[in-house]
Amino acid sequence: MSDQIVRELELQAARCRRAVVRMIRSSGCGHLGGAMSCMDIITALYFHTMRLDPANPKMKNRDRFILSAGHKCMAQYAALAERGYFPADVLNTYGKLGAKIPGHPDMHKLPGVEANTGALGHGLSISTGIALGLRADGDGARVFTVLGDGELPEGSNWEAAAAAAHFGLDNLTAFVDDNGLQISGRTTDIMNMQPIAQKFASFGWAVREIDGNDMAPVVACHDALPLEKGKPSLIVAHTVKGKGLTFAEDQVGYHYWKPSAEQLQKAEQELDAAIKSKEVR
Amino acid sequence: MAAQNADPRKTFGAAVLEAAKSNDNIVVLSADSGGSSGFGDFQKQYPDRYYEFGIMEQGVVGIAAGMATTGRIPVFCAIAPFATSRPYEMFRNDLGYMRQNVKIVGRNGGISYSDLGATHHSLEDYAIIRMIPGVTVLAPQDPGEITVAVNAMLTHDGPVYMRIGNEPIPELFNRKPFVIGKGNVEQEGDDVTIIMTGTVAGAVLEAAELLERDGVRARVIGMPTVFPIDAELVVESAKRTGKIVTVEEHYVIGGLGTIVQEVCSERAQVPVKKLGVPHTYATSGPYQQLLAHYGLDASGIAASVREFVGNPV
Repeated sequence: MSDQIVRELELQAARCRRAVVRMIRSSGCGHLGGAMSCMDIITALYFHTMRLDPANPKMKNRDRFILSAGHKCMAQYAALAERGYFPADVLNTYGKLGAKIPGHPDMHKLPGVEANTGALGHGLSISTGIALGLRADGDGARVFTVLGDGELPEGSNWEAAAAAAHFGLDNLTAFVDDNGLQISGRTTDIMNMQPIAQKFASFGWAVREIDGNDMAPVVACHDALPLEKGKPSLIVAHTVKGKGLTFAEDQVGYHYWKPSAEQLQKAEQELDAAIKSKEVR
Repeated sequence: MAAQNADPRKTFGAAVLEAAKSNDNIVVLSADSGGSSGFGDFQKQYPDRYYEFGIMEQGVVGIAAGMATTGRIPVFCAIAPFATSRPYEMFRNDLGYMRQNVKIVGRNGGISYSDLGATHHSLEDYAIIRMIPGVTVLAPQDPGEITVAVNAMLTHDGPVYMRIGNEPIPELFNRKPFVIGKGNVEQEGDDVTIIMTGTVAGAVLEAAELLERDGVRARVIGMPTVFPIDAELVVESAKRTGKIVTVEEHYVIGGLGTIVQEVCSERAQVPVKKLGVPHTYATSGPYQQLLAHYGLDASGIAASVREFVGNPV
């Protein structure tokens, strides 16, 4: 993996983070923190790892992305728009009546969305089913899903975790966006699901822990998939909630953000500067 | 007649197996429930299209949705409450909202798992599943109808919930094509209309004979599609007979009777008497005794209809 690839993906992630705040300007509010924390993983998926064709979003042997933590959808919308699935001005409809980009993703409204997530604890089961179907198709397509650390207490995740391991689905990779925060506080205080990696490993998954906001290890991890033949891969991505906006980073209050005009302007300035700094490298 | 009775689960499983022979996309999912659902032969003949997950109904319904996005037609059959109430949000979001072509079959429906008690009864499944937009609810009534309903279900593009019982049942009707959304006039009569669905059909037909002896001529309608209901047939019957009785192995609220009332309140304001199980946790006991306890045997149904038409014996 070249430094050039990493630098380009870092720039792309910066642009995607800027697109998130563009959506918040449209809507006036939104699930900021989680969208920012998982953005590097999602950017690498859409711009480096996944086999896809934005002009043919239903391409049969495409890789699938399922956002189990559907409230982080601004991250996916940003990546899809930047990747060319739909015109960027659609981002200006966030929060508007009948928008194609609702507060949780709708596969029937937007090309590139593969499931209607939002209720937590659904994405891993759906992904497991897709992985079973794709494996039977035999054309090498893979499934990637992003779970929030806060949704891990949902029992249905562990039903799917058992099934994916039982069926040896090495075409399935799940990322846990382990930003350590959920709406009411620290995940370890609300319901401690640590150690996440060991839990999945004991279910029969191949596991790895990475810094999920550092593009070089993110890309290296993607390039190493599947981590082990015959096992689904689980990546614990240690991330920072609100990443990219210094005032929001690791702050519980930015799970859902309704900014003032001043805060919004400050956020846009910081993200514009981040893009500029990465463009000149 | 007893020798001709068929186990509805075996009839169902055989119909799925037959359809699977000409459609490679049909797959069967099991939550430790496939063997008891009539899928023994399917498992033997198509082991690579039979997926055993163990007891995880929420997981299975979500997984079924995912498989359907790849073009499979998953069929998942389990004890009715565990296929409906337990994974309800997965049914609602992953099958309904996502519009996935998955077939969920609740067996041992109603109070047919009689002695196992209320945890194993399913008396709200029509009500809760029909609240999910885009889901078709079927309750075929005899072996022949189960067979053609399975084909209609597998041909239909979209999520379907079908409920069957487990008590062996006789052939009740002449075999006819199954059209989703259409009911059938099984017997003509002008004094009252009886609309039935699912496992109660045999008792209703018997009750109609008892009524006939008393001079009450009932129009009997089989309604194997609970939702969307055949509203035209309901309205026509309401206008023709002026009174309707509904019979179902379901709570008296929320199911077939309520659906018929919804149609009548809009389009044909006639009295509707709903027969079913009261809205409480049903008691346990031998199945036929339990049905009689709730007035859902032939004599109980006949007595309720007689009283309703103002002709009590």
